[in-house]
Amino acid sequence: MFNQLKSRFGSGLAVGIVGMVAVWLIALVILPQILMIDYSLRPNLLPVDIGGPKDTFSLVNYETLFNNKIHLSIFFKTLWSSVLVTGLTLLVSYPIAFYLAKVATPQKAALCLLLLIIPFWINEILRTFSWYIILAYKGPLNALLLGLGFIDRPIRFLSGDGGVLIGMVYAYILFMIFPIYNAIESLDTNQIKAARNLGAGWIRTHWRVVIPHAKPGIATGCIMTFMLAAGSYAVPALLGSPGSRWFTQIIYNWFFEGGNWNQGAAYAFLLLIMCIGFIALVMRVFKVGLGDIAK
Amino acid sequence: MDSSVHLDNTIMQFGDFTAIQKTDLKIESGEFFSFLGPSGCGKTTILNMISGFLDPTEGDVKIGGQSMKGVPANKRPTSMIFQNLALFPLMTVAENIEFGLEVRGVSKSERKKASDRLLELVALEDSGTKKISELSGGQKQRIAIARALAVEPQVLLLDEPLSALDLKLRQHMRTELKEIQRKTGITFIYITHDQGEALTMSDRVAVMSAGRIQQVADPITLYRDPHTPFVASFVGENNGVRGKVVAADSNLVVLDCGPLGKLSGRSQGNLTVGSDATLFIRPEHFRLQSEEGMHTLKATIDEVNFEGAYLTLNANTPANQALSIQLGTHQFSESLKKGAPVSLSYNELDAIVIAGEGHV
Repeated sequence: MFNQLKSRFGSGLAVGIVGMVAVWLIALVILPQILMIDYSLRPNLLPVDIGGPKDTFSLVNYETLFNNKIHLSIFFKTLWSSVLVTGLTLLVSYPIAFYLAKVATPQKAALCLLLLIIPFWINEILRTFSWYIILAYKGPLNALLLGLGFIDRPIRFLSGDGGVLIGMVYAYILFMIFPIYNAIESLDTNQIKAARNLGAGWIRTHWRVVIPHAKPGIATGCIMTFMLAAGSYAVPALLGSPGSRWFTQIIYNWFFEGGNWNQGAAYAFLLLIMCIGFIALVMRVFKVGLGDIAK
Repeated sequence: MDSSVHLDNTIMQFGDFTAIQKTDLKIESGEFFSFLGPSGCGKTTILNMISGFLDPTEGDVKIGGQSMKGVPANKRPTSMIFQNLALFPLMTVAENIEFGLEVRGVSKSERKKASDRLLELVALEDSGTKKISELSGGQKQRIAIARALAVEPQVLLLDEPLSALDLKLRQHMRTELKEIQRKTGITFIYITHDQGEALTMSDRVAVMSAGRIQQVADPITLYRDPHTPFVASFVGENNGVRGKVVAADSNLVVLDCGPLGKLSGRSQGNLTVGSDATLFIRPEHFRLQSEEGMHTLKATIDEVNFEGAYLTLNANTPANQALSIQLGTHQFSESLKKGAPVSLSYNELDAIVIAGEGHV
């Protein structure tokens, strides 16, 4: 890699580029992480005691989670809800991605992509707030459903996890659509025609031909959506109710409400480990390698 | 079983563009039928209408006498071999062949039997467990045929399936396709722009141009008695000489070809005195010696090419009419060289006169 850069830009510039990347990675990514690991392994002490006899390494901060039933249940609920968000996002995104890649004319596809992207020009907090308005008890969605006669009285979307799920599916839909769209677009259309020609209905055509081909794209989209959902703070904070707290909110509370960075860091690492472990598991189950995803 | 295909007054339009002009054509059960034409002539559109990927704007497609209106592609008794074959790369060879049967809910053991039988038919017995990427071009070709035949179609549609193969393999596959068609007895509909393929394999050929079928005939008739200037110049090589009709009876027509004088040939269709027409002479019908009943053209040789069994000459008449001539190699002499004058004679019964101006 360095040699490639060197042959292209000369050694001076190559050292500069690699140096900047290295500074970025080490100072802004690796060192803060190491600092956080260090925090997570030490007790929360008064400034006087830091460096004193009480300042020893231990796993106590990590054990806290397993001794706190409420935190533990929120931890698993976050995992489960993120899976749900990922699944729902996939369900919504796959048909859109297929439509864009194989059904729509280029003009229509371009228009649809534009319509999908425009809302993302607005800040995430504001977008989430607009959902808060849409989903409100006396908001437009309830008014519409009442007006059409689908419901007798308004639904409380924002109590429980419903609002959070809707908000997240919306917030991460592009991260799911684009990898799947790319994967499906590279599928030879004759493959679909061949399956149809051999008698396959639409479901089987997708199941046996399109989805196997799009698997790396689906895996990439699911991993991104899952990581973003599990690590999301704004959506549950804005659209959630007290009963639907996200694990990220507890981490936030440790850091900024409790002032216990050590405990917060340990919780953050537990969430990270959980996410990585879960993804590794899913990749194994669906027989997707890292190489497939990088494609 | 009736596996005839009937394009019943079919028209296909895409917006303002008419891809297929009104066509009424019946392809017989068990026939090897080809559509021959340059790219963009609409032959693939016809295939897509028969297979159900496109619905005709007007008219109907009937297979075995049954109307295919509203029958989706996956419910039609047709099977297609795609130009790029479209084998499923993520499935094994056997899974590819068995796919159509799997769809139909055939049991695993029955499927295995079928794929073994088909692999034997295409002489690839031990390839069932291989990946598609492990096969050579010719082997892929045969697997595509086996996969298409597995569903026991009434009609097999072939979309230029040989175009990606090298010459030797292509010639070999021609024989093989013909053989498979004889064994299975189903209707083959073959799309190609390669006249060699169409002429060697087909029982009948439809020559197409600009969305219109120009002529439907067996290969020999197509070559000997083209009905339109397009067919005359597209199928095989031809020399077209334009002129005006000065005399016509039911057999022979005399054309006034300006500086080339009066030339005659067999009449194709109704020609009235005074109308424009084109006289077509095949390169192989020229002789260097004139005999009784022959017409002679004086020309100058531009180029002599030796091609093994025969020679081709490019010549030009004083009236600037380019001619191509094919002679047996035994007729070669030192006098045939660039710049030399040459007398080219043809028998009027070998030439054909068609109304209109030919593509030359």
